[in-house]
Amino acid sequence: MNYDASLWLTFILIGLATLLPRSSFIVLGQRASLPEAVQKALRYAPAAALAAIVVPDVVLVNGAPDVFNPKLGAAIAAVLAVSLSRNPWLPFIAGMAVLWGLR
Amino acid sequence: MSPSFKAGAREGFRVCLPVSVGLVPWALVTGLAMVSAGFTPVQAMGMSFIVFGATAQLGTLPLIVIGAPWWLILATALVVNLRFLIFSAALAGPLAGGTLLQRWLCGYLLTDGVFATCLERLRSDADPAWRLGYYLAPSLWCALVWQSSTLTGVLAAGAIPRGWSLEFMASIALLVLLVPMARVRPMLVAMLTGGVLSVLLRGLPLRLGVMVAIVAGIAAGFATEHLQKKAEAR
Repeated sequence: MNYDASLWLTFILIGLATLLPRSSFIVLGQRASLPEAVQKALRYAPAAALAAIVVPDVVLVNGAPDVFNPKLGAAIAAVLAVSLSRNPWLPFIAGMAVLWGLR
Repeated sequence: MSPSFKAGAREGFRVCLPVSVGLVPWALVTGLAMVSAGFTPVQAMGMSFIVFGATAQLGTLPLIVIGAPWWLILATALVVNLRFLIFSAALAGPLAGGTLLQRWLCGYLLTDGVFATCLERLRSDADPAWRLGYYLAPSLWCALVWQSSTLTGVLAAGAIPRGWSLEFMASIALLVLLVPMARVRPMLVAMLTGGVLSVLLRGLPLRLGVMVAIVAGIAAGFATEHLQKKAEAR
């Protein structure tokens, strides 16, 4: 796969979308603050967004849901590894092993 | 550098050392994932320095690979970074003593690990210079560990055959982030709503389904929290 120069523009967009929330209140100082209700709602944003990205990645095969695909088996193995062990490498080892094993 | 900045820096470095070790597998995987997405080593390290955020990088990679529209990539990056607004609000007071440039640097370097580890002492220590050292030293150290481990992953990826499907490591990395969040009920509801809707709405034009799924997930999590509170109050 090859990308053109617009890839760098994409990086800058993602970079701004990361730098601005991080710096926001630290740079503005106490001149600004966030309402309590907004703070509460925002806590759910990463969970909802990451799930919305990773679930289709794991469940869909050529655009259609397939519950017997190797990626789903690998995902389950990775989730089990995170739940049962504190070893940071194990989810990756378990997930990739199952992915290769089922193919 | 004042003596109290140095004292803070030493203490911050000491308490955050374990956190920085935990970054290594993450950074390796992020490096591997970027190369698996088709980036050259220069592009991968460029993204790593410009963005310096694993969640935003890993979350947008699948969208970049499928050629999603720029606004969807931007919106997704913003949404996964919204948590930083809350962290930034919490750090505004403790870091108010820094110059403008130092505060931008503090913002760029803000990571979940240092935030979680250092927040308590940052809020309780009375010396602004000590606090700045206590935050900046471990943040810079974590950035150094992160970038060098990412580079290792990027260079290692070139030696690995494509048939090994290493790009799937990015999906595993996102799952590793999700599992601890799922222990809280409203968070689990937000996740399930976002994940299931994203699959069901995959046919919507412009990949709007992802955005709808995220907004619905946030709303579902927020609503569940309210219902829980009501049930407890009864």
